[in-house]
Amino acid sequence: MTDAQILILMSTLSTGLILGAIFALVAAGVTIVYGCVWLPNASNGQFFLLASLAAWTFTASFGWTSLAAAAGVLILGTALSYLLEWILIRRLYDTPNRNVAYFVVTLGLTQIMTGIFSLTYAKWSDQFTLPPVIEGITMFGPFPMPNNRLLVMGVSLLVLVLLFVLLRYHPYGRALRAVFQNREAAALRGVNVRAIYRLSFVLGSVIIFLGGILFALAYSYDLTVAWTMSITAFAIMIIGGPGSVIGAVVVGMTFGFTQAIVSIFASPTAATFSYLGAMLLILLFRPSGLFKR
Amino acid sequence: MNIKLKTCASAIALAAAALCAAPAAAQSPRPIKIGFVTELTGPWTFFGTSCVAGLKFATDEINKAGGVLGRPLEFIVTDNQTKSDQALAASRNLDINDKVLALSGPTSSDVALAMYGYAEQQKIPFLVPVAAFPQLTKPGTRYTFRIEPDAAGWGYAMAKYIEQVRPGAKVALMHSDAALMRAIMAGFRYQAPRSKLNIVADIMFPQGSSDATVQAAQVRAATPDYVIVSGAGAFDNVITNQLLDLGIKPQQIIHPFGITTQVFGWGQRSVGSIYGTFFDVGLDSLTPDGKDFIARFDAANNRPPSYVENYCYVTPYIFKEAIEAAGTADDREKLRNAISALNTKERTSGVPIVFDKNGARKEYMYFQEIVSVNGKRNYQSKQRFYIEWDPEVIPVYDLVK
Repeated sequence: MTDAQILILMSTLSTGLILGAIFALVAAGVTIVYGCVWLPNASNGQFFLLASLAAWTFTASFGWTSLAAAAGVLILGTALSYLLEWILIRRLYDTPNRNVAYFVVTLGLTQIMTGIFSLTYAKWSDQFTLPPVIEGITMFGPFPMPNNRLLVMGVSLLVLVLLFVLLRYHPYGRALRAVFQNREAAALRGVNVRAIYRLSFVLGSVIIFLGGILFALAYSYDLTVAWTMSITAFAIMIIGGPGSVIGAVVVGMTFGFTQAIVSIFASPTAATFSYLGAMLLILLFRPSGLFKR
Repeated sequence: MNIKLKTCASAIALAAAALCAAPAAAQSPRPIKIGFVTELTGPWTFFGTSCVAGLKFATDEINKAGGVLGRPLEFIVTDNQTKSDQALAASRNLDINDKVLALSGPTSSDVALAMYGYAEQQKIPFLVPVAAFPQLTKPGTRYTFRIEPDAAGWGYAMAKYIEQVRPGAKVALMHSDAALMRAIMAGFRYQAPRSKLNIVADIMFPQGSSDATVQAAQVRAATPDYVIVSGAGAFDNVITNQLLDLGIKPQQIIHPFGITTQVFGWGQRSVGSIYGTFFDVGLDSLTPDGKDFIARFDAANNRPPSYVENYCYVTPYIFKEAIEAAGTADDREKLRNAISALNTKERTSGVPIVFDKNGARKEYMYFQEIVSVNGKRNYQSKQRFYIEWDPEVIPVYDLVK
């Protein structure tokens, strides 16, 4: 292989892994909440953006390092998720067809947050960038990989593994999957369903916040990223199977690699259409998605 | 009886107050109203808000110096939410209810195009401060005047710059799929063979793209002398950084246009890169007024102005000169003729302001080299190239429909 071919191959791998892992994380956050609470979070893109913008504020306005900013956002994000669950989400737990009510509520949240961002951040800048957590470049043959992107890739993949282990082996994960599958049966077995709902909403939201931080560390972004991420996360959840975390991970990674590969052989525009087209095609044959809950 | 007396006293007091107030009202002349429909919310918020900041500086200066024909100049700033339908509704409202003399304000070409139709139909002078889509001044245009050079021309200017610094250069194009970028690249593709330049890669990204690593690797494999980078919003930064990550040198990167926040975004690692502009802190030709504007804008906003703010600063002065030349602030047709006949200069840089028969301006462009970037506070640039051209030196209206 020539250096040029290795360069393109390695760039495809790195893009597929980084984008795929971030897509998978956000979609996992969305699908956990949907699968457990039956809450299709239409404001997931705005949550994602909120985390990115908050991290930017901590670094640009307060002079924090990106690492401190990330920690600050995660702490604030957890508190905010609890608060939101307490004020808004729990009031609809026992409502029939609550998925529709939740969708409308989160659409409202989206509008409010969009308005707030438009009146604040949009006036301050048209683009946002976080300083790297670590400087330098690691060479993989002729391919130079910035260490900061390596870190983002590593953390994203690690969190996905931890999430898998948590849901598979931890008592909370087992309880959550039990509620996923049958709320009444889980309650009869002594699972505190409302507590699981609360934890699921907070966990799912915090994962979306983390996705926002990691994305901001890897890329410059503007306010349009909320919409892009929202569509992508929903598409991944639907293809993977609503409520299936493993589906979100597999399809998220596939999306990342599809984008990278199609953009080489066709064009970046074709890459974007390719996965949305794949979504429609899969839904024709498997309306409930590729994976079961 | 008491009540009657009180009523009479009140009526007399009111009549006296009205009599006293009448001469005072007569002393304050009616303002000259201009509708300024711009992007205060929506995706273009930053540009609309920056534009209004520049506009206010000039309006205050003009009114403190006595206004125009003895009347204050009032821009009625209205939000179009970066939406064509809102811009149209706002224009109609300003025309019918506020009876404005003229329209201005949009910084987005899509929004400006919606207002263009209304202005041409209703015969309202429409001065577009910052929108570069060529069709805003297509042949037959009568009431619309565009201050910013058309985007296809920017591509022409870039080709002329590269032709001068490296004849026969190999050039790669990386740009977003947005109207502005498509127009710029159309101009470049047209002029490149005429300037004997060789396009070795031409990559377009859909809006909403977030990664360009693979394409940056493809571009590097094509070994270009220059890479022209024009991403929408923050994606511009992503492409730039990923090219630099893969070993493309800053000196090889040319941005068709750069505003202050973009230069901050490119940062210190882009020192040596080139960007096109129409006004900049590093221009050789800044006038004393221009330097003063930069200093005052910087003090008020904690960043130097770019061409967006400058064009909106220039806008009230163009209206002032045209209204004075027309000799009246109550006749739209006379104002239209006065703008069309205007032969003046930007007070900040001395660049000529002359409109052709379609309302397109005699075009020009600067190419600056980034010398240093100090965080998000200031930067230094050096002027490397200046070019002026006639708007129709390339078939601009055929290139971009």
